Amino acid sequence: MKRWFEALPGPTPVKVVLAVVAVVVGLVALFFVYDWIGTSLLDTGGTVG
Amino acid sequence: MSEITVAEPDTESRPKRSLGVRIVRGIAWASLIAGFLILGFVVQQLFVTSWFAERNQEALEGEAREHFTSVEVTAVPITDVPGLSDPDASADPSAPVPLLLVETPPEEHEAFAIIRAPVIEALHEGWTVVSGVSRSDLRNGAGHMPHTPLPGQPGNAVISGHRTTYGAPFHDLDKLSAGDRLEVETAIGVHVYEVRESLVVQPTDIWVTAPREGAWLTLTTCNPKFSSRERLVVFAELVEGPNAGVILSV
Repeated sequence: MKRWFEALPGPTPVKVVLAVVAVVVGLVALFFVYDWIGTSLLDTGGTVG
Repeated sequence: MSEITVAEPDTESRPKRSLGVRIVRGIAWASLIAGFLILGFVVQQLFVTSWFAERNQEALEGEAREHFTSVEVTAVPITDVPGLSDPDASADPSAPVPLLLVETPPEEHEAFAIIRAPVIEALHEGWTVVSGVSRSDLRNGAGHMPHTPLPGQPGNAVISGHRTTYGAPFHDLDKLSAGDRLEVETAIGVHVYEVRESLVVQPTDIWVTAPREGAWLTLTTCNPKFSSRERLVVFAELVEGPNAGVILSV
């Protein structure tokens, strides 16, 4: 984690902003993946046909 | 003046981890990450989706109430309704033709009805029904299959809903048994249905949505809970409401 943070370009404030953006983008992407898996396998909404 | 020398890190003296330790360490990390991902999935599916759905329901109920007041409701002679005929026409041609109340069909994705069931906890207060059964429609509310009649109309009105996620409005659909009552409020009024039959079918069993004589409400959801392998289907027949007298008499 520390190595990943240090590998980000720019001075520390820029690294912090980039890290926050990367985490938010990752969480949103994860949310959509979870949603796709959930509505495909767990509970499609019960439609027929 | 003394000279300061910086010592090189003594990497040679650090004990090298054996392959076995590195494999175990890798498996431990992978398990930890997998555990967090699975936990995140469970939390997202059971709690986050329901939080979104319940928040959307508040807005959709307002939309449905607005729809009730703004939509046009007209009285149509039953002789103008396909599949219905006036039973008294042959006996007394001069008798007035019974009228059926009909509302303008809602726009796609629009909230237009509220379903209630005293037997089902999630439906005590009511759950808003939107027009359409796409993924995004069903994230917000229960979804009405657009090519089927609206609730309170002759035929077979089909409504689908989530069983375990997105507020799980149909979580306890299996608790409905013959004789239990369901209500669907539309712009016309409150239509009361009585459960006649429940059954489990395959997701491809489209026949459950086929037209029926009289006025029916068909509810569909996933079965068993936490799986979309099958569908639980509940058939209910209209017994009370603004159109019940006319439909049941023909």
